[in-house]
Amino acid sequence: MKTQKVYLYNSIFKAIVFFFALVTVLSVILIGVFMIVNGGPSIAKVGLKDFLLGKVWNSANEPPQYGILAFIVSSFYSTFFTVLIAVPISILVALAIGQLMPKGLGTVIRAIISLLAGIPSVIYGFLGIIFIVPLVQKVFNLSSGLTMFSSVIVLIVMTLPTIISVSETSINAVDKGYMDAAFALGVRKEYALFTIVLPAAKSGIMAAVLLGVGRAIGETMAVMMVAGNIPQMPSMLKPVRFLTTAIVTEMSYATEQTRGVLIGIGLVLFVFIFIINSIFHFFIKKAGAVNG
Amino acid sequence: MGIITTKDLNLYYGDKQAINSINMDIEKNRITALIGPSGCGKTTFLKTLNRMNDTIPNCKITGEVIFDGINIYDNKIDPMLVRKKMGMVFQKPNPFPMSIYDNIAYAPKYHGKKKRELDEIVEKSLKAAALWEEVKDRLKKSALSLSGGQQQRLCIARTIALNPEVILMDEATSALDPISTYKIEDLMGELKKTYTVVIVTHNMQQASRIADRTAFFLLGDLVEYDTTENIFVNPRNQKTLDYVSGHFG
Amino acid sequence: MANTTYEKRIRPGVIAVRALIYTVTAAVVALVVAIIAFLIVKGLPYINWEFLSKAPSRLDETYGIAPMIINTLYIVLLSLIVSIPLGIGTALYLAEYSKPGKVISAIRFAIEILAGIPSIVYGLFGLAFFINALKAGSSGGSMIAGALTCTLIVLPTMIRTTEEALLQVNPSYREAAFSLGASKLHIIRTVLLPCALPGIVVAIILSIGRIVSESAALLYTAGVDYTMPANLVKHVAEPGAGLTVQLYLYATEGGSPDWVPYAMAAVLMILVFIINLSANIIAGLFKKKVSIN
Repeated sequence: MKTQKVYLYNSIFKAIVFFFALVTVLSVILIGVFMIVNGGPSIAKVGLKDFLLGKVWNSANEPPQYGILAFIVSSFYSTFFTVLIAVPISILVALAIGQLMPKGLGTVIRAIISLLAGIPSVIYGFLGIIFIVPLVQKVFNLSSGLTMFSSVIVLIVMTLPTIISVSETSINAVDKGYMDAAFALGVRKEYALFTIVLPAAKSGIMAAVLLGVGRAIGETMAVMMVAGNIPQMPSMLKPVRFLTTAIVTEMSYATEQTRGVLIGIGLVLFVFIFIINSIFHFFIKKAGAVNG
Repeated sequence: MGIITTKDLNLYYGDKQAINSINMDIEKNRITALIGPSGCGKTTFLKTLNRMNDTIPNCKITGEVIFDGINIYDNKIDPMLVRKKMGMVFQKPNPFPMSIYDNIAYAPKYHGKKKRELDEIVEKSLKAAALWEEVKDRLKKSALSLSGGQQQRLCIARTIALNPEVILMDEATSALDPISTYKIEDLMGELKKTYTVVIVTHNMQQASRIADRTAFFLLGDLVEYDTTENIFVNPRNQKTLDYVSGHFG
Repeated sequence: MANTTYEKRIRPGVIAVRALIYTVTAAVVALVVAIIAFLIVKGLPYINWEFLSKAPSRLDETYGIAPMIINTLYIVLLSLIVSIPLGIGTALYLAEYSKPGKVISAIRFAIEILAGIPSIVYGLFGLAFFINALKAGSSGGSMIAGALTCTLIVLPTMIRTTEEALLQVNPSYREAAFSLGASKLHIIRTVLLPCALPGIVVAIILSIGRIVSESAALLYTAGVDYTMPANLVKHVAEPGAGLTVQLYLYATEGGSPDWVPYAMAAVLMILVFIINLSANIIAGLFKKKVSIN
């Protein structure tokens, strides 16, 4: 009798935690379905080609124009330059704290840099407004410092902690035997780090880059505050609007139709993230297979 | 005087002394084997010869290691330049995750050899390590695709490519199967014609088979150092006798 | 000593590489320190009891942040009530019950996707689902809609950190309990959860940090209202801006003297600092405890 009861409780508990675990899958499906159901018809109405490749966005026009090409290109443009600058910096910092510095100092610096990851987006945006925007305006002699350039600077700082910590983990996981072999060959650490350790940590660093890309594409509030928010094709010293900021900008006063299109933009973002994550997933699996 | 001479060499990990006042003369173009039970300090001693212990935190060394007329522990000495002349092969084969060719060419390239010299160095080194025939058709393949024994011979070839004077081997066959072990032992006999070889081994048969001179270490002391024959057949010290006759170890 | 072959020489290449690496690292560290120091020095003088305990009022010209603190706490607590059981349950399933297979890969992939979705997409979803479809609270946003949206956002952190903690529990405890004939549920209750507790606390703290700094997902789900809630129970269906959203509004739309955003930023920084620090300390202690085992 008692064992039966225990068995029953165990089964019930197992069913409950299984259901909880399924909630994650259901949420992803629910989010995807909701975006498609709410955004799909609006995209269809605009026409997928006019939506993705249309150069003009003007929701206040009659009839409104919903081309998001400028947002897509701006998002990729900023992400590209962010990663271009943030990745080399991150790799150098990761090498310094994980490989070159004494352990204690490395630990302290790692903890300090990890603080960056906890700072809210709006604070980065606020700092951007106070420092970067006026500086960019002055240095480039512009009428306004709200530009793509300012957004890229903010994004670089914001993506650093993620890229540093993921690449450091993969660099530190490289077999120590390689380093011993290099030393025994009279090869200096500085050279061996770049020619052996970094190539060996390649897949982990790629994962870090992809995470950084995901962060940069998805960042909203911080860039909202410094990008100037004008829907036009991107250029470093012009104000721009991204996929994310397009949603925030118009959501509050959107018509029914515009709202559907904004959800369509959300869907585009969702698809991008889905693709990035699939690559990431694939990379980790592949790297695991090689190491195993 | 031999090619390497240690004078009153002590090594400490923190407060703990790991090797005690070693005075030893290693002869040129000979195979010298360091034997003794685990933790006796033989590997630690081997690593003092090319300053590999430098990378261990809290490790302090006193005394001298004289090589090529200089004390390699002198403040003015750059250990990297010493290691160029004293290659080392590790217990676990550790080829770099790159092609067979690049593994061999890596260090010569770093030390300033021209691109056109590299082909020749790679071929010569692989031949010297008795690996050429097995890999000559797949030099661009990853070194990690080789078997364990081949990887270890690749590591030996990588060391030979430096054109060193001494090759230090830290239990280089202990992770290998008997056939690979035999091949490498055979190779060592060839290597001593050109280089001086110092090996650390657990395996007393191996020492008796290939070494010209053998040093017995116990608890950080150099107990006895003599020709291999004397150590195994006619040791002067009771502890050596006990060890080589298998009473402990 | 005549032989100079082995002597140290000055190597410009090595020095240049080191200098580059250390300069970049020093610059990054200096940047972090400067950001933190700047915000705290600029904002700290304005933080006083009145600022923390009053609501903003145009009439009285006061700029307290009490409603925002209440809203942030409200969303944090409400969200934790849902995400703690969900997160720990999922982690238990993954660490204790699951067998490798399609279901598990689907769950793990879903967790990765959830972790990668940008806040703003969650905000859109929250608006469309919780507010428009489920009518959870007022159409201008509600605490409950904001909290449920945040639940989705923190689930990956909660699950991963808890699972890691569960996996670190010494397997011999589990085996010992099993060999005594204890049931799985009993082992989870009496061995696993108590042993992994510090790790679970870290998961919760990290989740709190994530919600406190969230803004894009809350703008349209929790809404923007800075009045003091009259009734905390009814407030669950009412809109309200948290610290971050209100800071965003002040910084971009004005409506306050210049010092207010500084003071709010300082409050946020101090909060984030405390959250980070406590998570690090607990994680450090946990690691020590586990490694002794």
